[in-house]
Amino acid sequence: MAAWDLSVTVEDLGPDAPPVTLSVASDLHVGGVILKLVEKTQIQRDWSDHALWWEQKQCWLLRTAWTLEKYGIHADARLLFMPQHKPLKLGLPNGKTLRLLVCFSNPVFQTVMGICRQLNIRHPEELSLLRPVEEKKKKKDKDSTEEIYDLTEVPLSSASRPSLYNGMPAHFADSPQMEAIYKMLSVTQPPPALRYILFVSELDCKISFPLRWLDSSRCLMQQGIQDSDRVWLRFKYFSLYDIEPKYDAVRLSQLYEQARWAILLEDIDCTEEEMMLFGALQYHISKVSQSEPQMLSSSAAMDDLESALQSLEVKLDGESSSASEMLPCDCFRPKRLTLKGYKQYWFKFQDTSICYFKSKEESIGEPIQQINLKGCEVAPDVNVAAQKFLIRLLIPASEGMNEVYLRCENEQQYAQWMAACRLGSKGKSLADSSYQSEIESIGSFLAMQKTSSGSHGNSPASDESINTHSLVSPRYHKKYKPKQLTPRILDAYQNVAQLSLTDAVMRFLQIWQALPDFGLSYFVVRFKGSRKDEVLGIAPNRLIRIDLGVGDVVKTWRYNNMKQWNVNWDIRQMAIEFEGNVNIAFSCVTADCKIVHEFIGGYIFMSTRSREKSDTLNQELFHKLTGGHEAL
Amino acid sequence: MESEDTQCLMDDIDAMFTDLLGEMDLLTQSLDQPTVVPEPLPSTTEMNYSIGFTDLNESLHELEDHDLDALMADLVADINATEEKLTAQMKDQKVPPPPSSDLPAPPKGLSTYSASSIASPTSPASSTGSNVSTPASSSASPLPPPPPQSAKPTMEEIEAQMKADKIKLALEKLKEAKVKKLVVKVLLTDGSSKTLMVDERQNVREVLDNLFEKTHCDCNVDWSLCETNYELNLERIFEDHENLVEPLLAWTRDTENKVLFQERTEKNDMFRNPQNFYLWKKDKKALKEIKDRDKELLVQENFCGTSVIVPDLEAVLYLKEDGKKSWKQRLFQLRASGIYYVPKGKTKSSRDLVCFVQFDNMNVYYGKDFKTRYKAPTDFCFVLKHPQIQKDSQYIKYLCCDDAWTMNLWVTGIRIAKYGASLYENFKAAEKAAVSSVWTNRSTPSSSSSSTPSPTIKAKSPSQANGHAPKPQPGPVSQDFGNVPPPPPPMANILPPPRPDAFLPPAPPPLARKNSAKPPPPQRHLPTNFPPPPPAMDNLPPPPPPPPMDDALEAPPDFLPPPPPAAGFGSLPPPPPPSNSFPPPPPPGSFGSMGQSLPPPPPDPGFLPPPPPQPVFTGGGDFMSELMLAMNKKRST
Repeated sequence: MAAWDLSVTVEDLGPDAPPVTLSVASDLHVGGVILKLVEKTQIQRDWSDHALWWEQKQCWLLRTAWTLEKYGIHADARLLFMPQHKPLKLGLPNGKTLRLLVCFSNPVFQTVMGICRQLNIRHPEELSLLRPVEEKKKKKDKDSTEEIYDLTEVPLSSASRPSLYNGMPAHFADSPQMEAIYKMLSVTQPPPALRYILFVSELDCKISFPLRWLDSSRCLMQQGIQDSDRVWLRFKYFSLYDIEPKYDAVRLSQLYEQARWAILLEDIDCTEEEMMLFGALQYHISKVSQSEPQMLSSSAAMDDLESALQSLEVKLDGESSSASEMLPCDCFRPKRLTLKGYKQYWFKFQDTSICYFKSKEESIGEPIQQINLKGCEVAPDVNVAAQKFLIRLLIPASEGMNEVYLRCENEQQYAQWMAACRLGSKGKSLADSSYQSEIESIGSFLAMQKTSSGSHGNSPASDESINTHSLVSPRYHKKYKPKQLTPRILDAYQNVAQLSLTDAVMRFLQIWQALPDFGLSYFVVRFKGSRKDEVLGIAPNRLIRIDLGVGDVVKTWRYNNMKQWNVNWDIRQMAIEFEGNVNIAFSCVTADCKIVHEFIGGYIFMSTRSREKSDTLNQELFHKLTGGHEAL
Repeated sequence: MESEDTQCLMDDIDAMFTDLLGEMDLLTQSLDQPTVVPEPLPSTTEMNYSIGFTDLNESLHELEDHDLDALMADLVADINATEEKLTAQMKDQKVPPPPSSDLPAPPKGLSTYSASSIASPTSPASSTGSNVSTPASSSASPLPPPPPQSAKPTMEEIEAQMKADKIKLALEKLKEAKVKKLVVKVLLTDGSSKTLMVDERQNVREVLDNLFEKTHCDCNVDWSLCETNYELNLERIFEDHENLVEPLLAWTRDTENKVLFQERTEKNDMFRNPQNFYLWKKDKKALKEIKDRDKELLVQENFCGTSVIVPDLEAVLYLKEDGKKSWKQRLFQLRASGIYYVPKGKTKSSRDLVCFVQFDNMNVYYGKDFKTRYKAPTDFCFVLKHPQIQKDSQYIKYLCCDDAWTMNLWVTGIRIAKYGASLYENFKAAEKAAVSSVWTNRSTPSSSSSSTPSPTIKAKSPSQANGHAPKPQPGPVSQDFGNVPPPPPPMANILPPPRPDAFLPPAPPPLARKNSAKPPPPQRHLPTNFPPPPPAMDNLPPPPPPPPMDDALEAPPDFLPPPPPAAGFGSLPPPPPPSNSFPPPPPPGSFGSMGQSLPPPPPDPGFLPPPPPQPVFTGGGDFMSELMLAMNKKRST
């Protein structure tokens, strides 16, 4: 067979080096080409990760047994010899950037699996990569300060599940730096600065977001992603499967970050009450994650007896002393219609009740009234600047609610009484172990208010003084002043203050998942027979059709009624048939039809997962469901 | 009055403390010779049975007697503990000692409650638990002199070597001594009633199990406890995981409220017909035709994920304006975080919604007859209120729907939002209990029930502890009575197992249904459901699916048939009851005699038309002594 010249550019020789020319015959297989090439470069190194990339056809020549003829390669082919794994800048949901080696030759689906293996994220099928938003140059300051965490030294392992050491994959235990990276991955970040939220919210947009997903069935090179480019790693399919805090430290924290951003940026709508609760949870999570030493495996539960004794001690302590000391005096007046005056009484807090007396001297006798606080509503009415410390109690009784105001003299007293009332409303006495921490958190919220209202002065710049503004979306910055926002968040906070870090993160995710619009990705489409653009929402279990004008859901179709679907790539139209002879067809206006197609197929794939099979991912099925005919 | 009591309490502290020490002493002894406890049990059991056989009424009113016994045990122990003082006080003052001692706010409710038609002997019982003062503080307040730390040394003095577990036991005792108990009269559908003792820690499920035992009903998942509010014309199904005592304590003194034991299909309708709630927008005909597998899928999707999904309801409802008589229309939305409405002129977007109510301290009730009572547009009303509120008030939210369907949708939706995953857990537990009861009823029709022994034990054990078990002289007898309930169930429990073996064949069905038809199918459905869409890729006529996987799909259906048999068993129990109640068939005559033998005690008054509660209450002091008398009389007969 006639020999001809094939020129190959070898990346390792440098960008300016001329291509290496080989004399080959058409029946030479790709492996032979590589062998010749390596001999000719005369470089001693491990070439095992290298492969040939055919530039014109945009494909890798990965089948080394195939001949050049079979691939259809002729002398005019421009071939590139380079490693399949290259560094990539990976933007994480928590806003941090990692530099790590990823595979450029496998379909993105597998690349993501490799990334998740390195980062110790289970269920990689739920994540994918997307192109970053192009950042405007004017925001230079941000770029310059960005820290990049380097993971390129991590050896590429093929083990499907890395061995764990100290609760983290072994490769993170190698050095303190690596450990720090793992911490960054698995520990939630403090609330972002307001400025940053505004900056990001300029960039992001519900509709444009899903258009940027990479195609899971093609490799990075094919999609124009180059060496050291930046891509984002995000959760894509919101059918979150089998979350287990024990194994999912990184997964949970990244999921939380993504959810938090979705809420701060209003990618997902929620009500004001929900926003306050999200804010309170963020505050709590950041507070706990800063104080709680991570990786601290919950110490073997204290000896039963000891803890039992201790709790009894506290209980008895509280109960006995509640009859005497424990009870600072207070002034108060049940609000009688329009009367505004407050009358001073001597107050006692006992168990879950408050009782009051004319004076301290009479406090041994019978109280004027005793009110059980269980089930009552406690609301603060505080203005630190004006030294107003009111506690408003709505106490249920069989006839309705009794409104009672307690006025405290100072912060200290307010914090104690507020904490006591809160515990009382939950049916707990002062002896409850959470009493002290409740006082502290009320104190810290007061401090927050101080720093946010009186900006001057030397406010204690502790981590307690988190700006409430970074906890809620910009809409509420405009709507409320900090001193209005703080008590509302505190109000929501009282219900979550006792949660552990994991529980708080889980709660956050649960509330997020319970939002009506959770998991929806939106695409502008045109339905067959309709003359206007409409929005197609793709959710984990259904498709919805939304009227753009009104914003109303017009129609819902559930996947489990779906019989088949087809794509006509030429006219970019998808046709879906549901049970009961329901047929719909639409063409994609903004997004590539493939993205929409992959979303639907992907969700169907997610629903096929089951516990027994969960160890091995059925990649083939995924590609079958999402790839369209052009794949495989 | 209260101060007096506290005084009295103080006086008693010494006595009580000695008691406590004595109790610990006894405890340690019993620890040394663990056989001591078991011994009395068998004998009690026998006794119980003998009584049951001699007096036919006994079996009918078995429960009442157990309760009386338990009550007596408590009372006697209590009285002894506080020595004659208390008794004297009772007699002299004619003041129901327990109620009065029951301290302030909550206790008030408690004592009143006791006087109510439902639970006459309640207050004694609950107060017994608390030893004179509020349950919470009672056992603790006597202690202060020698606080816990010193409690340890003291023990060391008494007994040189004190072992850790002994303290623990003592601590548990202390805790149990505080447990509140109520005697609750439950109205059955046939107009009769059952009275039972419920302690603070028992949840509705346990009480239901108790009732199953008493009533020999078919134990299906629809049996529910409901509370009615007479004053407001409301009704609500208790959820199985709720504690029963707490909501009952909110009732007012002279309340006509009732606790009902009924079959309510709406209780678990969201699991049987999830489509009605999650696909409510579809037309009703389509909903009826929905396949079982789709229903299961809906349940999986909405209740088995990381968070429970609340049906996204939206409707124009009528709202009764605060304090006014008019009803105004508003567009409401249900979300997991609460009920919201859309203000006039605003969009439906989440951020514009105004919160109408959140569910933390709110329960949802069905309103009855609101059309005439409150001039509501329709009779399909529901109400949201704090459980404590018992009378008309501006803090109650009255809502009115166009039809029953909408009302059910909303009430159920609100329950899902409020209780979340607990509802599904309750349902599964109830299903399990129903299946096992079908099974046990079938195999051992004669033993009243074996499905519930453990709850019973759990439930009753406190009463035993509460009775200050190892204590004064009168104690033994009464305590044994107090102990009676537990023993029988275990025996019943032992019986069934052997039988099943004999009947092996029938056994599988229920199991098969449970295991195979439940969790696995849903997941399996999925793949098959979408024609393993790959074919679809081929762009044209992907013959829907049914490749091999379809077998998997068919499989569950194949398993399904068994249920019918199971249901057959279910229908079997009914027959048993007759035979079941072989002890019960209460000759009416003896019924009357029984009534005579127990004049003052609760069961009697409770039995028929709720007698005017006040008398019972005011006569409280007498009531206690009379109760004792009655008990003694009864025992001697």
